[in-house]
Amino acid sequence: MTQADTMVNVAPIEIAQRRERPQTPTLRETVFDIRNLSVSYGKTPAIKDVSFEIYRNQVTAIIGPSGCGKSTFIRTLNRMNDLVPSANVEGEVLYHGVDLYGTKVDPVQVRRRIGMVFQKPNPFPKSIYDNVAWGLRVLGMKDKLDDRVKRALEQAALWDDVRHRLKKNALGLSGGQQQRLCIARALAVEPEVLLMDEPASALDPIATARIEDLMHDLKNEYTIVVVTHNMQQAARVADMTAFFGLEVLPDKSRTGILVEYDATQKIFTQPSDKRTEDYVTGRFG
Amino acid sequence: MRVTLQEDLDTLQASLLEEGELVLRALRGALNALREADAELADEVIAFDDEVDRRYLQVEQGIEALLARQTPVAVDLRLVLAMLHTNLHLERMADYCVTIAKLTKLVAGLEPEPRMIQAFEEMGARAEEMIRIALDAFVNRDVDEASSLVELDELIDRANRRVVRQVLELGPDPELSEWGLRMLLVSRCLERIGDHAVDIGEQVAYLVSGEFREFTDASHPVQGS
Repeated sequence: MTQADTMVNVAPIEIAQRRERPQTPTLRETVFDIRNLSVSYGKTPAIKDVSFEIYRNQVTAIIGPSGCGKSTFIRTLNRMNDLVPSANVEGEVLYHGVDLYGTKVDPVQVRRRIGMVFQKPNPFPKSIYDNVAWGLRVLGMKDKLDDRVKRALEQAALWDDVRHRLKKNALGLSGGQQQRLCIARALAVEPEVLLMDEPASALDPIATARIEDLMHDLKNEYTIVVVTHNMQQAARVADMTAFFGLEVLPDKSRTGILVEYDATQKIFTQPSDKRTEDYVTGRFG
Repeated sequence: MRVTLQEDLDTLQASLLEEGELVLRALRGALNALREADAELADEVIAFDDEVDRRYLQVEQGIEALLARQTPVAVDLRLVLAMLHTNLHLERMADYCVTIAKLTKLVAGLEPEPRMIQAFEEMGARAEEMIRIALDAFVNRDVDEASSLVELDELIDRANRRVVRQVLELGPDPELSEWGLRMLLVSRCLERIGDHAVDIGEQVAYLVSGEFREFTDASHPVQGS
């Protein structure tokens, strides 16, 4: 066999092309398009001129120091701030292109499509079953009620824990289980988006890990926005991360601003803004 | 401000620089032993490698603990990763010094060729300079200084190629040929030390910019160079 013959029979070496670091996942569909959003309580500004897009089937984390308007921001995404009389919202929150603050938009429908889970688990003092079924009954989704409750509890990774005690009082569950029950309650009405405001800050590390795993699973079906104080949690669970900071206005009042928004990996390895770097590395303040 | 994290980072970097000083001592010892055909000094260089290894392990364990306990991110994470790589490069340089010392012992009793010994002295001095520049660039986070290593490396590479020619010119004498073949390996060791210095320079660029890139791409050389 000649050398040329040998060369022909050797499979060509696949030269690995150097790949650019994936800055953001491809094929993104925008769920929220936030444009120049400012919120104030009375005359006190909470956040100013926030603009960015939140993408479908991703976990988007909102991080930043206390008082930077993280919770205010997330509450504008399902009009929870409507419940605060002094809250004033300017700018646009487009949800699939529709302004959530438009005159024809029904806040009840908004909150059905965009569910929320709070910092402290807040189950009703009712049975586990009734906690999940409550929203379904209110919204008239009463067909196949048992199936819907089961599915929601399964999605919240709670079904195996509670299947034999559905009629027991929800307040008998552990803190982590109560939080997963609240997630099941939010999921039962089949929302598209799940907003989570510090969902694990009142939980122990094991319960926290379960919530984080759950977020990872749920993003296949839902779009998740999570506010967290815990930067490592954001690093672990989020695809995209928005860093909110504080800006001191000329009258010495402080307001929250969006400093940087990027893929989570970028934020935690190579942030573009010095303020972000100072915050994530713990050099803030 | 995370005081503990900053102190840990400072301590690790100081240990790394001390390791660099140990490598410079090892290299100087290896070069002197080669020039003077001093087998005793060569033994000292070989034994001295334990010092470098101890420091290497200390830095490695410090990095492991820091990652586990402090979970550094952003510039801190990049510094830790750059130190992890640099630590390994320094340790490998010291290994090459040991190889030079061992080769020196193997040629004891063979007559050296003075012109080549002089060439090694110059290559060695160049390698020392490159190590110093790499460590300085690391401390000062100076990408320009780090990039300058490429040109210095090219000088060592050229000297290495000259050594090949010189060995071929040594003629048919068996003893001289054996000496020459051993010296090819010495030359290769010095050339590799230069490469590792360039690699440290690349870590400096990563540390500063967050983007890893090779200063020169040996697999895809630019046309005409």
